[in-house]
Amino acid sequence: MELLEIKNLSKKYEKKKALDNVNIKISNGKIIGLLGKNGAGKSTLIKLINDLLTPTSGEILVHGKKIGVESKKVISYLPEKTYLNQQMKVSEVIKYFEDFYDNFDSKKAKKLLKDLDLDIEQKLAKMSKGMQEKVQLVLVMSRNADLYILDEPLGGVDPATRDYILDTILSNFNENASVIISTHLISDIERILDEVIFIDKGKIILQSDADKLRKKENGSIDEIFRRMFKC
Amino acid sequence: MLIKLLKYDLKYMIKNMSVFYILAIFFAILVRILGLFNSTTILTILNGICKGTMIAMIVNIIINTMIRSWVRYNISIYKDEAYLTHTLPVTKNDIYNSKFIQTLIFYIVGFLIILLCLFIAFYSKENWALLRTVMDSITVNLEMSTFWFVVCMLIIIFLEIFNAIQCGFFGLTLGNRKENGKIAWSVLFGFIAYLVAQSLVLAITAIEGLFDSSIMDLFKNNIVLNGNAFIKLYGIATIIYIIIIFIMSIICKKLLNKGVNIE
Repeated sequence: MELLEIKNLSKKYEKKKALDNVNIKISNGKIIGLLGKNGAGKSTLIKLINDLLTPTSGEILVHGKKIGVESKKVISYLPEKTYLNQQMKVSEVIKYFEDFYDNFDSKKAKKLLKDLDLDIEQKLAKMSKGMQEKVQLVLVMSRNADLYILDEPLGGVDPATRDYILDTILSNFNENASVIISTHLISDIERILDEVIFIDKGKIILQSDADKLRKKENGSIDEIFRRMFKC
Repeated sequence: MLIKLLKYDLKYMIKNMSVFYILAIFFAILVRILGLFNSTTILTILNGICKGTMIAMIVNIIINTMIRSWVRYNISIYKDEAYLTHTLPVTKNDIYNSKFIQTLIFYIVGFLIILLCLFIAFYSKENWALLRTVMDSITVNLEMSTFWFVVCMLIIIFLEIFNAIQCGFFGLTLGNRKENGKIAWSVLFGFIAYLVAQSLVLAITAIEGLFDSSIMDLFKNNIVLNGNAFIKLYGIATIIYIIIIFIMSIICKKLLNKGVNIE
């Protein structure tokens, strides 16, 4: 049984089609790059998997079951924006995650926060956007989930921190789990990808093993992406 | 999971409401203390200011409970915090029930705080006797005890306010479904829901009046309520309010279960 299976998924906003008949299968133990230009439909697809949008048609299955309480237990999602209650301290958010997610490892979270020099007694409202994003990434990666979905995890951070984030991602998920990383900063994540999915105008235009694609097209994923999406 | 959600919803409300509770009680105590001294011009002015502030805090408790409940509902179900709320391993029913129970608890707490403040500020044997005389003069026509009259009034006021809050939840659910992020739709739907709820109470009372002359007399003549009419009127209003609140809750849950669209 596939970890994630998306069948004939479409999403319309009034007259505009954000996703058009998307079909994807994702198995365990892979790092998948969901790559596309701005507005291609990456975030829409991710939000649909996380029950934040209602599909117009089609279905999403996690371990063969429709999206619901059970799927949310095994999916760890990092949204593009800061979403935590600003009135809370980091330590309170850790307690919150501990309360709701059985697979949350608070010791790991505290260790990662310490590595990043983040004070767990500080209120989120007093932190910069970059610091809040780091806290969110730590919380998401401290869950022992089956599927991690990271929406633009490198968006607002400096190059040095990007490397730390990628290392954090690589060293904090088990080999049976999969990671979907949505980004347009392809060169930064290229080294860690097992598979790539190219999305454009709401349609999946390519799903391939990263190494096979590099060999076939004789170039890096970044170069192939630039060639395919040349304006 | 409902208990866990409720714990965090209550924490949020306590953080925001406790300042009003503390201030209301503080000024009630000041009113009481200032009332103990012989009245001078300055003390009378100070006492008046404290009474005014205490009443402002009491009004604040009612209005803020209502507004904070709506804001909490909107932020955690439809705004940025929705990214967390809808990805928690909890059912949509639990999310809704938590908000509903949280509001219910804070209205009861608010009512108790208001009663406590009034007791602290104004209780004396003379005031109590005066209040009883006034209440007795009202209830003598109704042929019921003052105690039960006060209980009935508190329940109906509570239901009326709670119905207004429920209309707000209903409006937010419909409004965000129509167009996420546009609060105008939510206000419009909430207002319509409130008008419909009030009209229903009136319409069903009028229908009851077709079969009961004592009720119909309230529509036709300018008369003083008698005990029989009061009990019937009170019973109808209470039952209709509870049914309306219940129906709106079910619709909200059904709509939430159909899915959300968070921008």
